[in-house]
Amino acid sequence: MLEARNLRKEFGELRATDDVSLEFGTTPGEMVFIVGPNGAGKTTLVNLLTGLLEPDQGSVVVHEETDDGTTVERDITNVDPERRVNEGLVRSFQIVHVFEEMTVRENVRVAVLSRYDKLLSVRSRDDQHEDVEETVDDLLAQFRLEETQHEVAETLPHGDRKLLDVAMSFGLDPEYLLLDEPTSGVATREKEYVIETIVEASDARGVTTVTIEHDMDLVKTYADRLVVLVEGSVFREGDPTLLETDGELRRVLLGVTE
Amino acid sequence: MSRLSPLEERDGETVVRVPLTNGLTLTKGQTALTLVGILVLFGLPFLAGIVGLSWGRLFRGLLFGMAAVGLNLLLRHTELVSFGHAAFFGGGAYAVAVLAAHLDVSEGLLLLLAAVIVGTLLAAFIGYFVAGYVDIYFALLTLAFNAVIFATVFRSGFFNYNDGLAVRVGGDNPTLFGLGWTDLGYDLVLYYTTIVLMLVMLLLMWRLVHSPFGRALDAIGQDRTRARFIGIPVERYVWISFTISGLYGAFAGGVYALQRLHVQPEPTLYVFVSGEILFMAILGGFTTLVGPLIGGVLLVYLLEATRFSFYYYHAPIGIILLAIVFFMPKGIMGSLPDILAGLSRRASDPGLLGDDLQTIGSSIRRSLSRATTTVRILVFGVR
Repeated sequence: MLEARNLRKEFGELRATDDVSLEFGTTPGEMVFIVGPNGAGKTTLVNLLTGLLEPDQGSVVVHEETDDGTTVERDITNVDPERRVNEGLVRSFQIVHVFEEMTVRENVRVAVLSRYDKLLSVRSRDDQHEDVEETVDDLLAQFRLEETQHEVAETLPHGDRKLLDVAMSFGLDPEYLLLDEPTSGVATREKEYVIETIVEASDARGVTTVTIEHDMDLVKTYADRLVVLVEGSVFREGDPTLLETDGELRRVLLGVTE
Repeated sequence: MSRLSPLEERDGETVVRVPLTNGLTLTKGQTALTLVGILVLFGLPFLAGIVGLSWGRLFRGLLFGMAAVGLNLLLRHTELVSFGHAAFFGGGAYAVAVLAAHLDVSEGLLLLLAAVIVGTLLAAFIGYFVAGYVDIYFALLTLAFNAVIFATVFRSGFFNYNDGLAVRVGGDNPTLFGLGWTDLGYDLVLYYTTIVLMLVMLLLMWRLVHSPFGRALDAIGQDRTRARFIGIPVERYVWISFTISGLYGAFAGGVYALQRLHVQPEPTLYVFVSGEILFMAILGGFTTLVGPLIGGVLLVYLLEATRFSFYYYHAPIGIILLAIVFFMPKGIMGSLPDILAGLSRRASDPGLLGDDLQTIGSSIRRSLSRATTTVRILVFGVR
């Protein structure tokens, strides 16, 4: 379980994250969606969880079950992003971050090499590790990137670039995957396909996902749990049916007055 | 032909698997060029004289080129521009000179080993401080370290100020492999030892850039943030690659000291030398492995050959370099495939030459008409 404990972050006068306490993965493999109006602090929260930002107060804690059934707590608030990957904490960005001059396959491969801890190897060729290549094949198949695998990333259409970004994240064998608007900029008719692919991949691996999303139809369809942020604080937390039933939530989020 | 491993078909093209590289391949054309290159390197002491070139200059060019090959690890892969690589070249050279002049170490290979160790440690030291920076900050920091080292050596009696130190023990050349040599013998043994080591180092660099580690460096160069978030310890990897890249410079500087037998601060440590090393990589083609080596030979030869012929010797070199940057942005080796393809197209279809002339003609006409317009506006104002 990944826990945010009283997280607080200020930018000057602006309190972007205000005493946020949340738990993700209480049911392992759950799909949590974070929603909220612009400027609610969604991305800041993800940045705090993944180490791109340091909180002013509060902590990020990973709970891990040991073999004898007890739970161990590890505070990772001050752990570098690159080490958080070892804790199973992986993220994608709102703006696609892939290695533009590499081919699709090379992009996925470098992530998988990292996961297998083989990046410091200098005695082999990068494409010579059988276990790595098998994992890369699986990922390319799952994200339907096989046909474009030898194309350079920067030449791909936007939707494929998004999928490549996510495929790389899955290549790191995450326990918790934080996705910052995986469908942003994707054409409406492709959004479902992108989310669907993510759901399939995370179900297959039991990955807990935390997704920032603006499209409420997608949220209703795919969310196991919903977190609503408003002005830096948790406004609502619970079942996605809240979107239908909670009048105040609808007013804040959708501007619907009833 | 036992040195060639079996041919292999790949993507409809016959490629040659190179021994000792875990199956890295070259196309037939590249193999031929490589073999010619190796033959030329081994025959250089004799060939140079025949075509009227100075072998010593070519040798020094190769050495600076080696430093550029090292620098290119940063430039091409982690995409960092270092303006301070003369520190390692000069550091290696001065390690040789100090040990010979002050501590009477006379074995050349021992001196070379010391050069590599000292220069690499220096790179590790500087790399530790600069690894977290990018872009202009990285360039300026490396330049600053280089400048500090230059100033220290230049002002220090221990290094004999601007006059530098002789690499001689009791007036004799260093020994090589424990033996004393005649002047010519010394030069030849040093050259061939260097060439063998150099080929090994090139092979190692080639393997390095195709290894998982090389790929991690590419990742860092292309998107640092993402590299961190796929678990690459960016700063540590940049530090390692900086150190390796310094090692190549230190080796080159060490051999330079043994070849010149005298080390001065200006030709080895000055920040302009750093700029030259950087330019060699770009000139020769920083997208290729051996491009920087070619760039090194060319630039050093041009600089040394024109130095005494007239006062403004930097000007024509500058013009040549400008031309290369404008018309061959991938450098000499990087543009070679395009040039060869263009030539072979023209060989099979001479009619293209007419088109070329037309293109040149019309571009000159356009430039002239633009220039006339500009002059007219300058003289008569806008109408």
